[in-house]
Amino acid sequence: MAGIIGGKSVVVVGAGIVGAATTYFLSKRGFHVRLIEASAPASAASGAADGAVSVASKRPGPMMTAALRGIALYRELEREGLFAGLFKSRPTVMVAENDSEVESLLGHAAALAGEGMRLRHLEGDALRRRLPGVAPHVRLAVEVFDEGHAIGYEIVRRFIAASGVPVERDSPVTGLAANDAGTSVAAALTAGGAVEADHFVVAAGGGSAALLGLSEAMRPRKGQLVVTERAPALAASLPGSLMSCRYLLSKDAIRTAGEASGRRFGLVIDPLRTGQFLIGGTREDRDDTGNDHDAVGRLLAGAVRLMPALARLRAIRAFAGVRTAIRDGLPIVGRVPGFDNLFAAAGFEGDGICLGPLMGREVSRLVGGEAADLDIAPFAPGRFERRNLVA
Amino acid sequence: MSGGSFLWRGAAISFRAGESIASALLRAGERDLGADGAGARLRYFCGIGACQNCLVSVDGSIAESCLTPASDGLKVDPVEAVHG
Amino acid sequence: MARPAEIVCDALVIGGGAAGVSAAVELARAGLRVELAEQRASLGGAYHRQPSGTTATTSARGRRQWLRLTAGLAHFAIAPRLRHVFLGVDTDGLGLLDDREAGRVRTVRARALVVATGAVERILPRPGWQLDGVMTAGGLQMLLKETGEAPPGEILVAGNGPLNIALAADLVRLGRPPVALVEAGDPAKNLGAALRIATFPGLIGEAARHLARTGFAGTPWLRGATVTAIERDGARLAVSIEDRRGGSRRIHGDMVALHDGIRPNDFGLPAVSIGEPIVVRAGDCREVLGIRGAEADGIAAAREVMALLSGTALHRVAPEVSRQRRAQALLAELFRPVREHDGLRHLPDETVLCRCEGRTVGELRAMLAGPDPIGLREVKLNGRFGMGVCQGRFCADAVGEIALAARPDLAAGPLSRDRWPVRPVSIAALAAPDESRGE
Repeated sequence: MAGIIGGKSVVVVGAGIVGAATTYFLSKRGFHVRLIEASAPASAASGAADGAVSVASKRPGPMMTAALRGIALYRELEREGLFAGLFKSRPTVMVAENDSEVESLLGHAAALAGEGMRLRHLEGDALRRRLPGVAPHVRLAVEVFDEGHAIGYEIVRRFIAASGVPVERDSPVTGLAANDAGTSVAAALTAGGAVEADHFVVAAGGGSAALLGLSEAMRPRKGQLVVTERAPALAASLPGSLMSCRYLLSKDAIRTAGEASGRRFGLVIDPLRTGQFLIGGTREDRDDTGNDHDAVGRLLAGAVRLMPALARLRAIRAFAGVRTAIRDGLPIVGRVPGFDNLFAAAGFEGDGICLGPLMGREVSRLVGGEAADLDIAPFAPGRFERRNLVA
Repeated sequence: MSGGSFLWRGAAISFRAGESIASALLRAGERDLGADGAGARLRYFCGIGACQNCLVSVDGSIAESCLTPASDGLKVDPVEAVHG
Repeated sequence: MARPAEIVCDALVIGGGAAGVSAAVELARAGLRVELAEQRASLGGAYHRQPSGTTATTSARGRRQWLRLTAGLAHFAIAPRLRHVFLGVDTDGLGLLDDREAGRVRTVRARALVVATGAVERILPRPGWQLDGVMTAGGLQMLLKETGEAPPGEILVAGNGPLNIALAADLVRLGRPPVALVEAGDPAKNLGAALRIATFPGLIGEAARHLARTGFAGTPWLRGATVTAIERDGARLAVSIEDRRGGSRRIHGDMVALHDGIRPNDFGLPAVSIGEPIVVRAGDCREVLGIRGAEADGIAAAREVMALLSGTALHRVAPEVSRQRRAQALLAELFRPVREHDGLRHLPDETVLCRCEGRTVGELRAMLAGPDPIGLREVKLNGRFGMGVCQGRFCADAVGEIALAARPDLAAGPLSRDRWPVRPVSIAALAAPDESRGE
């Protein structure tokens, strides 16, 4: 590895939020970066995400630690001006509609508080005053402070513009070629030829699986979302995103009736800067980006149940993104064993917007020969058996 | 269906059988339909529901005035009055 | 709670104009179970819409056509679903209809869909085109057909193409001649095309009648001229007009009707498909052929559906369709704008481009000015062009044109994608419980 440190050229594969952030931080460190993208910036999960920059749904553990640091970086980059106008600071309000949800929410809130999160419980009149648009049957709300929202494709655009690196669009990387000794990656292979560099970063979401030989560990996880028309007054009545605590159950992969097909429903109602609402989402074990009436209807029925005034708005758009999930629920971040100059950052499932900037910075430190600032050991690429890594 | 009248900003607008809300408003000289929730001006434009510029609030729900038949007693208002 | 079940049929026809009705009748004639959906409260489409109890604005021939088509519906007992707005086809292959009367979305399990949603007008952006009182010529014509009268105030008609002449003629007939008819082409000069169009007696007859009426009413017919700006002037609109030599003048009016041609109304519609559900298009929504072509194309579409359902491919041949295609080409030549199209380079930066969100030409140009070869999808997402409630219907073409003029290296592609809902839809209607959902 010693021979490589000091090398100044890097190929970043993938212009989603992780690749764009990596490119930005590497450029700041003086690296010459080539950003190679299979289609266009933010064209996959980063461009079809719910935009949560949030810890609220996390359980204590490495992902919660990472999410806290991720939010802190958003605030830092906002202060620096890079994210000016792009980061909406707002709380997440988790709500429980029945006894079992109340119990699960109380337990979750205690765990968050134990990690030092600022939050408050809202019941009765206090709940009605703080959340006037929320249905009367809602029993308990827990407002988690210091969270936020950002739109993935806007962040990607800002990173790329600030890095000054032109995106090499429509250039799928079909493989990585090793050097003669088999200890380093020598080039990324594209239809336009082999692209050589000193370092390689694979941040290609689902496209990373084949490049890293990790197809066994990676899974597509589709999410459907709906956007409403603008209703600024109603949006302003909601202090932050409204999250059904059924979302916690969804993330824990507890499958409820009728979802044997591997489809789970969470529910988040997020008031956007535009006065629109973003309503999501599903978690489905499939990789298409279509919407079906059944899923959209259920999502919206849930949303109207929580916030009845939404019934009077119109949905203007439905879309779906395919997140990349890892078998054990943790992303892959770090140096890829067996190669001294290959790094990976992928598989953030629903947390790419929250964690993308942070992981981009961490990877830029690794490429620069420094230790990561965050404990990324739980995310080590080496925890899975790899197949056919290099062409 | 026969003609009648509906309320626009609280004032009666008469309409004929088979007429849309947009048509009745324009015949009454009402070209400015107010603003949408975000402050953009609304007005009749394409007549086929495509442009989404002639939205009004009909009994509290947003609809294209060009596609919505006028009917007796409807309460029609600018979108901003309901969703501003 | 009992809920209306999914609608099951062989073929769902979208659009109750000439093409849709003729397709529905032809499919029913072959013994198929047909559903016909129309977004308005009555059938007729752009051409056959009639004011109730007033004089028809269409020709005798047109009236005969419509009587024949509606008699077919009655004969086969096809009850059209009125006020049903088509939302698209979902990933489960279900057709989705927004039933505006009932306030709920209905799902349709059909083996085939015939999409006959007609044409949409092409309206070039111009400074001031977003003002109230400015509407499309088709929009104004819709009002005339709905009520048999024109809304109060002086009207100026501008743009390009035969529809403007038809509108001006209708206004003359209603005793409300326009203050001016501004036409970018010069059909009076383009004799060659005019003579060849004489081989289409119907067309030339209609055009001549329109011209005669307009001329007799003394309406100024400004040919080779374009509207460069519309401004508010007190309670009225001031319209700036530039002639072919660059001379300019201003004409005042209360309303401006704009129209620069028509194109298929195919935004966001499901792609043509030969697998189930089969999706075919008919009439102006497939190719702009006008009213004569629409009926023939509807029949051809129905035959194509029947062939595909029986497992055979059918090459769609309809002599009338080919004939109308030639006629449309001649009309385009007859009305060819005098001045070369410049990729909208002439538009001032402050011109509103996206009517929904007020985004301007200058904002688009600024986005494209950077060194990074930005693509159209990025223009859409980051510039919010085509992101408004109209979903790009009135800016997508212009955005593409301005973008390509500014950046010839730009990765082209459609600004809008094939996604439902193709129209905004009430959340209450989408969220209405469906018995199949088991809630």
